[in-house]
Amino acid sequence: MVKWPSSWNLVLLCTMIAIMVAACAGKDAVTPVDVEAQAFEDLRSEIRNVVADSSREAEAIRLVDVLQKDIERLRNSIAARTSRLRELNADYDTPRADFEDFLASIESEVRENRQHVTEAHQALLAVTTSEERSQIDKYRTKAINAAIKSIQSI
Amino acid sequence: MLVALFTILILSGGGGSGILDFIANTENDVKVVMEKDDRRIEALGTLKAMKQRVSVNNKALKQTSKDLDKALSTGADIDVIWKAYFAQRDAYNREILDLRFQLRDQLTRDEWQQVFGGE
Repeated sequence: MVKWPSSWNLVLLCTMIAIMVAACAGKDAVTPVDVEAQAFEDLRSEIRNVVADSSREAEAIRLVDVLQKDIERLRNSIAARTSRLRELNADYDTPRADFEDFLASIESEVRENRQHVTEAHQALLAVTTSEERSQIDKYRTKAINAAIKSIQSI
Repeated sequence: MLVALFTILILSGGGGSGILDFIANTENDVKVVMEKDDRRIEALGTLKAMKQRVSVNNKALKQTSKDLDKALSTGADIDVIWKAYFAQRDAYNREILDLRFQLRDQLTRDEWQQVFGGE
């Protein structure tokens, strides 16, 4: 049984307050992207708490930054792809070749990116010890879940 | 499971397993726009076929996520899994595109505009 550190209570409380305040604001309702940003910030906080070695801590934080930027870049790319495809589909006269060219360009992009996407995540796991990983795992999982939801909301 | 699913989701294009999935979810719009006749029955049949194809693809995607997760945790070669995944994507895109053009031929230009023009 993993002991729940008191610092986690503070992080959880701050997160809940932030979400409740934003939810009450109405027009400033929390978006999936906001939730994702908070989840990544919580992950950084937990890494600072858990990783004792300063150089490994700095590297782990840097890798979280890389991972978050990768996700942001890919989210923008997916949004652009979706928008373009809906444009092509809306036009009754779009030739099949235009769809095929567009899908081929996406496939090419996907094949190029597939390795890069997992690298930062794998490196983050590699820079932490197994004990540290078990302690930050909950926050890492939350960050990935939040990223999945923000991407699904496009 | 989470990392593999995450990887596939962000690579494949977002909410669905394929980026043409949204066309399959226009059944209600088609029912509103088209008269109750044989053409509408055919169009709805095409949309049903699209949904079934999307469902098959989603199941295959889940299996790929499991296979990738297992390979990542054991250090096994994942290239074989990715190769199969891309072949599956190619086939899916081709078949969904076939169904998209089948649907296009079943709707008039005006009906198409009403269903998809607001995209």
